[in-house]
Amino acid sequence: MTETAINVTTAPAEVERPETHEESVPEVPWLVIVWNDPINLMSYVTYVFQKLFGYSRAKAHKLMLDVHHRGRAVVSSGSRERAELDVARLHQHGLWATMEHNT
Amino acid sequence: MSFRRRIRATRDGGYEVRLSAEERSLLTVLPAQLVSLLESVGDEPPGDLPDALRRLLPPAYTTDPDAERAYVAMTRQDLVEHHRESLKIMSVTAKATWLEAEQLVAWLAALNDLRLALGSMLGVTGDDTEPPIGEDHEAEWIAYVYLGNLQSELVDVLETTLPDPVAGADDLVPDDHWGEPPGGLRWDGTPQPRDK
Repeated sequence: MTETAINVTTAPAEVERPETHEESVPEVPWLVIVWNDPINLMSYVTYVFQKLFGYSRAKAHKLMLDVHHRGRAVVSSGSRERAELDVARLHQHGLWATMEHNT
Repeated sequence: MSFRRRIRATRDGGYEVRLSAEERSLLTVLPAQLVSLLESVGDEPPGDLPDALRRLLPPAYTTDPDAERAYVAMTRQDLVEHHRESLKIMSVTAKATWLEAEQLVAWLAALNDLRLALGSMLGVTGDDTEPPIGEDHEAEWIAYVYLGNLQSELVDVLETTLPDPVAGADDLVPDDHWGEPPGGLRWDGTPQPRDK
C-alpha cells in the first residue's frame, strides 16, 4: 500500500506456514487474512477495518501497518461460516482477503 | 497549487461536490466501462479472469480448489452485483453538485474498484512502480493517480462518520498474529526487506 495510492496483485503466492504440532481440536478457529497489495490506499484500508469490524482507529491503523510492512495480517477469526462472511465483506470493499485453517 | 476541498459535508447530512466538467465526465464514463466489463463475468476461477477484474473478484481459499469453487458458486454473483451497483451510482450521479451520504459511500467503493481495475491493467506491483509517461497507457496512469487523490479525500470525509468502536472488538485478534520472525512477505510472496 502507499500513502496516496497504489497496490496490484494476481493470485496469492504460496507462503510458508509454521508447522503446528498441537492435537487438532474441532474448534480451531478459521483465520481471515488480509494481504498487502500495491493499489489500496493505506487510509482506505484503515477505514474499512474500522467499518467492518468495529475496531478503534488505533487498532485498525496497527493492523493496516502489519499488512503493509509484514505482507499480511489476521483481521478476524471464528467459525468457517463467520470467516466466509468476513472474507465476502472484505472482497466487497476491494481488499485482498483469504481464509485458512491450521489443523 | 492551492488546495481546495472538493467534497464537503453540508448541514442537511449530505455532501457538496465541487468538480470540474472534465472530472465529472471521467467519473461518468469510467464506471460505465467497468460495469460493461463486469457483465461478461460468470463462475470462472479468479485465475481465468481478465487482468482488470482479477483484483475485484479475488479468491477466498488459495490451497483448496474444491472449497474455492463452492465459495465462488455461493458468492460470485452477489459480489459482481455489489461492484456494479456502486459503479452505476457513481456514473449516474457524477454530474450532481450534492450527494446523499449513501451515494458518497457508493462513490468511495466505485473509486476503489476503478483503481483496482486500472492499477491491475497498468501492472502496478509496488510502491515504486514507474509511471508509463510517454507510453501507451499514460492516460490511464493519469486517471489512476487522479482517482487515488479523490478517493483519499473521500476517506478523510467519510471516516468522520464512522460509528463508535465496538467495545472489546480490539481484543478479538492479536495485533501481530505471526510473531517475530519470519516477518513480512511482500505482495508476491517474497520476503519483505527489513527496516526498509
